[in-house]
Amino acid sequence: MKQFTYRVKRFFSKPYNIILSMMLVLLTFLTLVPLLSMVRDSFVVHAAETMRLKKPLDSFTLNHWFKVLFDANSINVFYRPFLNSLITSLGSCLVSLFFGGFFAWLVTRTNMRWKKLLSALFIFPYVMPSWTLALAWYNIFKNTVVGGVPGFFMAMTGIEPANWFSYGAFPIAVVTGLHYSPFAYIMIGGILRNMDANLEEAAMMLHASQGRIMRKITIPMVLPAILSTFLLVFSSAMSSFAVPQFLGLPVRYQVLTTQLYRTLNGVNKGQGYAIAMVMILLGVAILAFNQRLTGVRKNYTTVTGKSSNISLVNLRGARNLISVIVLVLVLMVSLVPLFSFALESLLLRPGDYSLSNLTLQFWIGTAQQNSIANSEPGMLRNPTMWRALWNSLRLSFICSLTAGTLGFLAGYAIVRGRGTKLATVVDNLAFFPYLMPSMAFSVIFLSMASTIVKPLYGTTLLLVLIGMVKYLPFASRSGINAMMQLSTQIEEAGEIIGVPWNKRMRKLVIPIQKASFISGYLLPFISCMRELSLFVLLVTPSNRVLTTLLFYYNEKGWDQYSNGINLMIVIIVLIINWIVNKATGASIDKGIGG
Amino acid sequence: MPKIELKHITKKFNNTFTAVDDLSITIEDGDFITLLGPSGCGKTTTLRQIAGLETPTSGEILIDGKVMFSSEKLIDVAPSQRDVGFLFQNYALWPHMTVFQNIAFGLENLKWPKDKIDARVKELLKLLKIEEFPNRYPAELSGGQQQRVAIARTLATNPRILLMDEPLSNLDAKLRMEMRAELKRLHHETGATFVYVTHDQLEAMTLATKICLLDKGVLQQYAPPLMVYAHPANTFVADFVGSPSINLVDGMIKTVQGGTVSLDVDGFTATMEMGDGFKGVDIVPAKIGIRPEYISLSEEGVPARVISSLPSGMETIVHLEVRKGLPLTSVIFGQNDFAVGSTLHVTFPTDRCMLFDDKGNLVGLGKLTLR
Repeated sequence: MKQFTYRVKRFFSKPYNIILSMMLVLLTFLTLVPLLSMVRDSFVVHAAETMRLKKPLDSFTLNHWFKVLFDANSINVFYRPFLNSLITSLGSCLVSLFFGGFFAWLVTRTNMRWKKLLSALFIFPYVMPSWTLALAWYNIFKNTVVGGVPGFFMAMTGIEPANWFSYGAFPIAVVTGLHYSPFAYIMIGGILRNMDANLEEAAMMLHASQGRIMRKITIPMVLPAILSTFLLVFSSAMSSFAVPQFLGLPVRYQVLTTQLYRTLNGVNKGQGYAIAMVMILLGVAILAFNQRLTGVRKNYTTVTGKSSNISLVNLRGARNLISVIVLVLVLMVSLVPLFSFALESLLLRPGDYSLSNLTLQFWIGTAQQNSIANSEPGMLRNPTMWRALWNSLRLSFICSLTAGTLGFLAGYAIVRGRGTKLATVVDNLAFFPYLMPSMAFSVIFLSMASTIVKPLYGTTLLLVLIGMVKYLPFASRSGINAMMQLSTQIEEAGEIIGVPWNKRMRKLVIPIQKASFISGYLLPFISCMRELSLFVLLVTPSNRVLTTLLFYYNEKGWDQYSNGINLMIVIIVLIINWIVNKATGASIDKGIGG
Repeated sequence: MPKIELKHITKKFNNTFTAVDDLSITIEDGDFITLLGPSGCGKTTTLRQIAGLETPTSGEILIDGKVMFSSEKLIDVAPSQRDVGFLFQNYALWPHMTVFQNIAFGLENLKWPKDKIDARVKELLKLLKIEEFPNRYPAELSGGQQQRVAIARTLATNPRILLMDEPLSNLDAKLRMEMRAELKRLHHETGATFVYVTHDQLEAMTLATKICLLDKGVLQQYAPPLMVYAHPANTFVADFVGSPSINLVDGMIKTVQGGTVSLDVDGFTATMEMGDGFKGVDIVPAKIGIRPEYISLSEEGVPARVISSLPSGMETIVHLEVRKGLPLTSVIFGQNDFAVGSTLHVTFPTDRCMLFDDKGNLVGLGKLTLR
């Protein structure tokens, strides 16, 4: 007994063990408990179903799973949306790999012009919310086939874009792919940049042609990055909600996430939970596969020597042409959407792009003037809008503060306790939310809030909790990276002269790795500012945030408002990223995911 | 037969930094040349320019009498057309290919038939003593084995010229010794022209038939190793070559009478009896160069205090102080050790001590007496 107390005391004399133990309890409650609650919910009878199923409330049933997987209607409930999700996700992967990969090659390996400007602009879509391009596409290529007013393209040219071009699989894949192409650029470009140019030069010396070098050396070398990008884009696209909602809905093109939203907002929550579980399984499988893959890639790192003088491919005559084409393309995905939002928010009558139709009414008009939009006052006068902005900022601030701090502590404790079982478990638990599609994750919390902890339902605290847990991986990753680079000796040097733990943190660890820790706060903040799918099921009119307000206006068809709000979100995100970047060097495009 | 000629090669980066400055050398067929110098002296740039991986800003490069590069005639032959092999410092083995595939790659590019490729690769595996590993990936090999694969890959296509960029710098000391011997053997067996970049003067000395010593992009001396050692063109070369370093003693020339130069060295009078070919020197501040092994210990001579004594068995390096501010390093062969603080007497029995003028250029060799 004495020995036991001694061991317990010894265990808790290490600060990291205290942190790890607390994290274990917290994360168990915030990830595992809700997950189990959801699994249970997919197997029990819900209040609305007691009559139909003729079973008492909360009794066991396989009905939900049956309806989802084996019913005659399963094709519409699950299989078709599932197939659509697969198609659009695969398409997105191809688009982002091709666009991002080609751009990465141009920047790192050729003498293309304006590289600095182009790569800055190219990263732009990644910083902006994922649906930015979708909304821009919608603004520009709307047609009148499914009703409503024409978009910019049709208004200017008089050509009616075909339905397949304006809505559904094609634009969803293109837009999602473009949004994630910076990701491909960062991953593939990173490898290309760090890849020893000698590897290619060696092939050149051995009489290999440019094409053969590309085929036999360059592409195989970046293949792991390509695969990694593929899997990450695929899982992100699978869990994307806003894009298919904006571009799929007009033609009733359902994917898993929109189907999930419909199911959960409609009658059958149990079926929704079942669908969410399938999504979670898929997401975990893909990312686990990716983890294994990146583990293997370590074999690819070889001794690197001096490779500073990469000889660039001379594009010769095509140099100017290629540079201009790339510039135009990059502008289309970076700045054009912003102009589009601004323009759409100024149109008195949507679809009429003449100068006389421009108005500031939807920004500064009073309720009386705006009789078209249900007498909603202009955005800058609208209390709903200000409240949503305030809610967004407050929520993002709290989420980033909690996720950032917890993530930093987790990172510290995981690295210091590395090798112990406890650290491994906490590491996995803290990364777990990253594996889960946002909407499925919010479904988990919804299930928890409506069964286990009822008082949480519809509260801002629920939003804070889910945001904190969902963004914890961003913060814990940067915490872990920062701590890995920091030798333990730095802290031990303080310990040996008797500096207490909290002072070691404040005076040594944090100041040295300032930039990494700040990016641990920045990532959750910006992600939270532009988050839609995580919150859309959980908000109530009183705690509505900007993104869900945007979604609400979009559903109502008040395009001026949704465009205006979107512009505001993008600008806030860009400004904050810019300020933090200037102040600390941290930037969202240096982090993971998104 | 390949002979490499560099004519007035200049390489500037970004029009500001001059990496190589007006370099002209001729490398004869079958030579083993080392490009030697401190880091950043332009030796790798020179090598890469010969290979065609780097384009000179101006000048002309000829291989086997054919113009490979000429800034005037606007000729720039692609690296793959120059028939040179290149061995990279970090080996640059392709991690996704096996040893066999790495070696066979160049032959495949030359469209050799499969059976001939097989035979050639086997021959190389044997030559480099790596027969056991044809199916391994580079990551599964030790540094020395990787090095051998890299050499085999470079030799596969039978290049008449082999360019090597510090190929041994990533190996440990023992392996490095082994590979040096190996490279000399390969040079002998292949009969190819080797150009070898290194910053290690010992490596340059032991391997080369001729050393090309560069500093800040400017050629300092181009001569056989022992010539460079005994007749360094200037104080930079004298100091760079040799370990432990040469003693360079500051002095002021007082008189020059025929072949006798007498100098004032920190209160001592130093007399140099200059050897053949001495053409005189002005009355200027000068430097006397004394290789550590030129210093002998004896009963008479100038007294010097032992500062430290570093015996290694074969020889002992002794740091001496003739007077405060006049240190000398000496190498004594045999198994000796000396008590720190004890006093020894030094003489300079050789007639190979060097005299450098105020610009650091070698004036001549001679016999030194210090009084």
